[in-house]
Amino acid sequence: MDAKLTHTQLAWLSITGLVIFFGTWTLAAALELAPRRFLPLPWEVAEAFVKLVKTPFSGETLQGHLVSSINRYVRGFLLAAAVGVPLGLMMGWYRWLDNVVTPLFDGLRFIAPIAWVPFAALWFGTGIGGPTMVIFAGAFPPCLINAYRGAKYVEQRYIEAAQVLGASGPRVIYEVLLPSSVPAIVAGLRVGAGTGWQSLIGAELIAASSGVGLMMVRAQGTLDTSTVMVGMLAVGVFGLLIDVALRAIEQYIQRRRGLAT
Amino acid sequence: MAGVPARAAAASCAVSDSEEPAVKSNVKRDPARLWTGVATVIVLLVLWSVADRVGWVGTSFFPSPGNFWSALQQSVTTGYADGRLWEHLLQSVKLILMGFLMATAIGVPLGLWMGWSRKAEALINPIFLLIRPIPGLAWIPLAIVWLGVGDAAKIMILWLTAFVPTVINSFSGVRGIERPIIEASRMLGIRGFTVVKDVIVPGALPSIFTGLRLSLQGCLTALVAAELLGAILGLGKLLYQGGLDIYPGMILVGMVAVAITGLALTALIDLAERYAMPWRHT
Amino acid sequence: MSSNITFSKVSRNFRRDSKDFFALDDVNLMVNENEFVAIVGPSGCGKTTCLRMVAGLEFPSSGLVQVDGVEVERPGPERAVVFQQFALFPWKTVHENIEFGLKSLGMPAAERRERIAGNIKLMNLEGYESAFPHQLSGGMQQRVAIARAYVLDPKVLLMDEPFGALDAQTRTVMQEELLRVGRLNPRTVLFITHAVDESVYLADRVVVMTRRPGRIKEIIDVKPVRDAEKWQQHERIEDVMDLESFVHLRTRIWRLLREQHDPADH
Repeated sequence: MDAKLTHTQLAWLSITGLVIFFGTWTLAAALELAPRRFLPLPWEVAEAFVKLVKTPFSGETLQGHLVSSINRYVRGFLLAAAVGVPLGLMMGWYRWLDNVVTPLFDGLRFIAPIAWVPFAALWFGTGIGGPTMVIFAGAFPPCLINAYRGAKYVEQRYIEAAQVLGASGPRVIYEVLLPSSVPAIVAGLRVGAGTGWQSLIGAELIAASSGVGLMMVRAQGTLDTSTVMVGMLAVGVFGLLIDVALRAIEQYIQRRRGLAT
Repeated sequence: MAGVPARAAAASCAVSDSEEPAVKSNVKRDPARLWTGVATVIVLLVLWSVADRVGWVGTSFFPSPGNFWSALQQSVTTGYADGRLWEHLLQSVKLILMGFLMATAIGVPLGLWMGWSRKAEALINPIFLLIRPIPGLAWIPLAIVWLGVGDAAKIMILWLTAFVPTVINSFSGVRGIERPIIEASRMLGIRGFTVVKDVIVPGALPSIFTGLRLSLQGCLTALVAAELLGAILGLGKLLYQGGLDIYPGMILVGMVAVAITGLALTALIDLAERYAMPWRHT
Repeated sequence: MSSNITFSKVSRNFRRDSKDFFALDDVNLMVNENEFVAIVGPSGCGKTTCLRMVAGLEFPSSGLVQVDGVEVERPGPERAVVFQQFALFPWKTVHENIEFGLKSLGMPAAERRERIAGNIKLMNLEGYESAFPHQLSGGMQQRVAIARAYVLDPKVLLMDEPFGALDAQTRTVMQEELLRVGRLNPRTVLFITHAVDESVYLADRVVVMTRRPGRIKEIIDVKPVRDAEKWQQHERIEDVMDLESFVHLRTRIWRLLREQHDPADH
């Protein structure tokens, strides 16, 4: 590994990288290596962004579509967490439940969430229901698995300490098992949030009546590349925000526990 | 103590997006687990067969085993959605492998280079940070605009989907090599390409394989999505047509095919991993 | 109010690959009220198993483990344990950790607070009530663990290599602490260690165990020597460990242990 860079070196190289990227893009667009429709200039994308905020596209403004998407996302994710976390915990604590649920789960787990879209649309429509189900399918496995592992691999000595100190069943669960599982639960929520967001986009691209994904598909239909790019950025930025927020929570918990690395 | 969960093993670790989910069933050591598992599966199968007859679920919503079976037969023999099942499968798998292998061929060396050279990292990272948050699926509309609904667009999507996790995991694989090992290699006078061959690549290999698994899963998802949007052949096409025709039996066939493909591809990577890292048992 | 502990013909074996492994073989021991008994022996000799059986975390394959004549059936706060790895709950503060067992006893809040404050003072933990375990040093954490056990006013105190995870200097400080606290608050203690120095310094009697299968090789009476030679006159541990009487006892135990490690046996 070569030596650590000074701050100036780091700054210069980073800027150079970005300049190369945007420079090539602008150059290619300006030289019309592809028709302008397909390869807009970077600032044209920014213009499209402003336009989308002001005027509706395919029924809604950008923020309108975002709200639709987020609405579905929150429902799907919260549902996945509300079902997945408690179920995972109980599977980790009670062997019999683990034995019953795991075969079922293992079977369903391999079905990529996107493959649920046709059934989801059939059963729950393309409004809120269908996409929500797909989000659930994406967010559920990480929530479950991580809660399961957090519950199952509680350190033996905590359980013994609790027993020695005379704690009864419910107290052991509430004051020992649950707190010790919290870091794993939060990690699961973070991963689930990410996969859930991706599943949302997938569902909206294919079978939705509103939302950022739909906006992108419609824009694709009219070959409105700038709008497509705005959509991509919106999706990316939002996914990033969710991830950053959850990582921050995760690190806060780790620091409180002294698990921080 | 009634109601209190049984004892447990040692460490606790979080399953993150750079790791494998592993609800491990220790079937060998726990016969109860095996039998309960079998029993559950049997119960579910029975419920499934009985569901539509008893009137719980209409077959226009969820296929009965009979529906599923006849749809399966149809897809295998006469074909559905302009192709037989194996043709759809072949098309999808072909594209996935092409996109995946191209992304790996570029992504792994790039990630390794970025891991080894801090200058390379500083240069490339900003661009990477811009691209990284955009999920593979979100590239689909752009790819279709640029390249249409043919194979080329799909390969572009797959390439982009596989590229990101591959680079990240190769990068962290290099960075994860313990200091003492690097220092030992310096002390032993290993230089140049030998360092790459004998120290960096083997050290980063576990992480690289994790990245490969992730990108392959991502590819399957992205391809099915792309095919759902527009394709002539492919598992996604099968699903799409089944949805359009409201043919639940065929939808289920498509889903099962996707699941089995995912399993098979993961197994392939596991096999490759065992071959590439004989010093580890996974 | 302390209790006595009785081991009657206690054996513990387990099967693996259709072979029997004896962890303990015919152990007979009586620990009297307010007596401090240390068990020393090579690793794997079953000394920890003995302690865990009194705690109710493990059970004998044959024979009887009793406290005050009552067979031990489950763990409980009257037989408090101090674990080697502390086992403090990382998500609870020092105060909450110490409070945990008191809640099981159904003690009202005001009384709890008083008791805890007393024990925090006793173990020199003042000012750390709201700290989390990871913020404390190893020695401090073990003090909390001891406080957590002591606060319950247990009939029997079980300590499983409690200072094993501490560095040498902290260890000696803790040994002095334990002795001081024990003088203020005597009770029945069963103390596991593989540090011979520690056992002679702290205990009234030292039980020397053999390698697996664990049997009692010999029991050394330390108390008569300590009383006769007036070890308690000396404040510092190093002064006690310098005394001839101390060295004799220590060497004797070392010899007993060494007999089991004869290379000629292997």
